[in-house]
Amino acid sequence: MGLSKRERKSSSNSTSPCAHLRAAYHNCFNRWYSEKFVKGQWNKEECLSEWQKYRSCLSEHLDDKHLSRFLQAEGALGSIFQEDSGNPVENTAK
Amino acid sequence: MVKAYTQEHVYKHPWERVTSASWRKFADPENKRTLSHILEVDTLNQKLDPLSGKLYTTRALTIHAPGPWFIRKIIGQDICHCVESTVVDAPSKSMQLTTRNVSLQKFIEVEEKIRYDPHPDNPTGWTVCRQETSIHIKPLSALASMAEKVEQRCAERFMQNSVKGREVMERICKYLEAESSGMAL
Repeated sequence: MGLSKRERKSSSNSTSPCAHLRAAYHNCFNRWYSEKFVKGQWNKEECLSEWQKYRSCLSEHLDDKHLSRFLQAEGALGSIFQEDSGNPVENTAK
Repeated sequence: MVKAYTQEHVYKHPWERVTSASWRKFADPENKRTLSHILEVDTLNQKLDPLSGKLYTTRALTIHAPGPWFIRKIIGQDICHCVESTVVDAPSKSMQLTTRNVSLQKFIEVEEKIRYDPHPDNPTGWTVCRQETSIHIKPLSALASMAEKVEQRCAERFMQNSVKGREVMERICKYLEAESSGMAL
């Protein structure tokens, strides 16, 4: 029924330019979360370069993605794509 | 006009594994078929507080939420954008997720809160998940006259999807369990 339409929609979204960078970041994050963070090693964040690449891709494609809607919708999110909003750990980690 | 529903589920897996599964729930490709209503998940922000061991995450979810035809006609779309905020407190072992819709807000507001805590009877082996969903139809919206019906449909869909979500969670937990004991692949 509507399934084929839905899948088309979904796959066209997933081929968005950031999909690969997103997968790389999420893979790295998942590993860090289960192997370090929950085991008490929360003093240092990892995956910073993956995060940077993914995040700059997202900000670049804000217009053609629907992400700008999210930013308009919630004031709390307004700071997300500003320069200084990255990761507080970034500075200490370097 | 607010409807609230609560559900509870016990996972017979430790908190560490269940919360790891929660992060993978929408992202693993093999779950895409089961959770086909989730079209897109992007991490918008992630902050770690290294002193307190708290991790703050904001994600954007794009959800396919087809309603009955008359709703689609009024609203004009069946894609809904939601923002999910998560706080994981590693030292005290708690994970809390709050998801709200940011589109279609003039018609409806849905808020879903999920908590994962170690089960009091078996804190190192089991995890309890409490889920609370509230649905609010805006009183002056075009949907108000059929609010009862819309809320009912909405609630049914939420129940169906959370059953699917639990199945996926159980599957990932099993996979992670096998992986951690070296049985994977």
